[in-house]
Amino acid sequence: MRPVRTALLLGGLTLLLTGLTGLLTDPRVTDPFDVLLWAAGLLVLHDGVWLALVCGVGAALTGRPVLRGWLVVVAAVGAVAVPAVLRAGDDHGNPTLLPLPYLRNWLLFLAASAATAALAALVRRAVRRAPRPGP
Amino acid sequence: MRRGPFRAGAFRSPARGPRTAVVLGRWLGAALLLCFATGLVSHLLQDPPSRLLAVGLPTRPPWGYRVTQGLHVACGLAAVPLAGAKLWSVYPRLFEWPPARSVRHALERAAVAALVAAVLLELFTGLLNTLQWYPWPFPFRQTHYWTAWTAVGALLVHLAVKAPEIAAHWRRARSVPPAGRRAVLAATAAAVGAVTLTTAGQSVPWLRALDLFAPRRPGAGGSALPVNRTAAQAGTVAVPADWHLTVNGPTPYRLDLAALRALPQTTAVLPIACVEGWSANGQWTGVPLPDLLRRAGLPPGSAVRVTSLEADGPYRTTDVPAPYADHPRTLLALALDGRPLTPDHGFPARLIAPDRPGVLQTKWVTRIDPL
Repeated sequence: MRPVRTALLLGGLTLLLTGLTGLLTDPRVTDPFDVLLWAAGLLVLHDGVWLALVCGVGAALTGRPVLRGWLVVVAAVGAVAVPAVLRAGDDHGNPTLLPLPYLRNWLLFLAASAATAALAALVRRAVRRAPRPGP
Repeated sequence: MRRGPFRAGAFRSPARGPRTAVVLGRWLGAALLLCFATGLVSHLLQDPPSRLLAVGLPTRPPWGYRVTQGLHVACGLAAVPLAGAKLWSVYPRLFEWPPARSVRHALERAAVAALVAAVLLELFTGLLNTLQWYPWPFPFRQTHYWTAWTAVGALLVHLAVKAPEIAAHWRRARSVPPAGRRAVLAATAAAVGAVTLTTAGQSVPWLRALDLFAPRRPGAGGSALPVNRTAAQAGTVAVPADWHLTVNGPTPYRLDLAALRALPQTTAVLPIACVEGWSANGQWTGVPLPDLLRRAGLPPGSAVRVTSLEADGPYRTTDVPAPYADHPRTLLALALDGRPLTPDHGFPARLIAPDRPGVLQTKWVTRIDPL
């Protein structure tokens, strides 16, 4: 284990320094501090706001695993879909950029996934209520 | 006094734990490493660090870049829910008390902070780049590239630190898993599946019917192939009436469009594969580039520079290394799917070569020079 850990550590530090040096010396990245600021901002938003919200909602929904699972899926797909919904129509005159009806698709996805989750919850309840076979 | 999340027992989900973190970490680690490897391929194709490497770039399979870059974007999108789930699984560690037990412990936590920040920046900038949305003040491509090295470096350091814990929980324990772990893993898997199925149609034709959210879709908007830069954006809508192609070499020459169309034509089915993850095949017809170069007296093995009509832009010129310049299916294309090129697809002539990023398939070509 020790040689593997040492190799990982040394290799990791080398790559880390390569990335930082590149960021600091690339002539096209004129202000590396901006990059640091955005990275730190994303970290604070994700860990400070988003995950706190997720944990709060999760704690409130203890005992409702299907609803929780549906929210996880909706949040994940939303992270990808909502930026497209927000940018729909902003194509800089390029009709092949963002060509789909993203808002309609997002509502469609919410409805279809909610229906699937409701069905799963019903099946789950039915299975739980069914008399168990004897030993 | 320790309050809120710093309170002992503040986080009560039994589904959290080292085994959950290891399973999610494996999935996320695989996605990130695949992103890094495929991203490097893309970078090397666009920015070969030396002429020597450019000579050795592969031209086959012709759909190679289509696969690597399609995977790059698909894995990046799949990593969005994976990163969320992984960070949730270790979230209580953020509130450890005391915040640092030793210098070593402080360094470990700093490496984790660097890892998380770099991964979030990569996923965020990568996602918005596919929408051509740039709300940040730094250049996308260079920042995304260098941050990737930082992220993978921090990932390896993290693996080195956590190696004993990872090894201890690599295999499933014989005991019954705690309540909720399977639900967490199932929800994460479902989220990854849903994100992939609703976006991968931009590069996987048989998933096109499920594609709800990809920023590009071949065949949508009345265009068989999407375009990244339109003729209007490049200022090449009005091609000069006296347009001609200049090929320089030992015996330089000029040809107008009619003369180019009179040369022997070849048809090749080659994909346009964009750095932003979308791709599709087109049926291109035009003059093989090797024919044009031989006519100018350039021997096989010559690399050339192709120049576009566009006045500026990072891809106004592209270098074509010898493996592509010699390839019989590398065309100066004049037609797409049997019809003359539209202005947005590069009228009057564009480059199309096997296994190259779309941004290097220069449009509105006006000149070819030996390098």
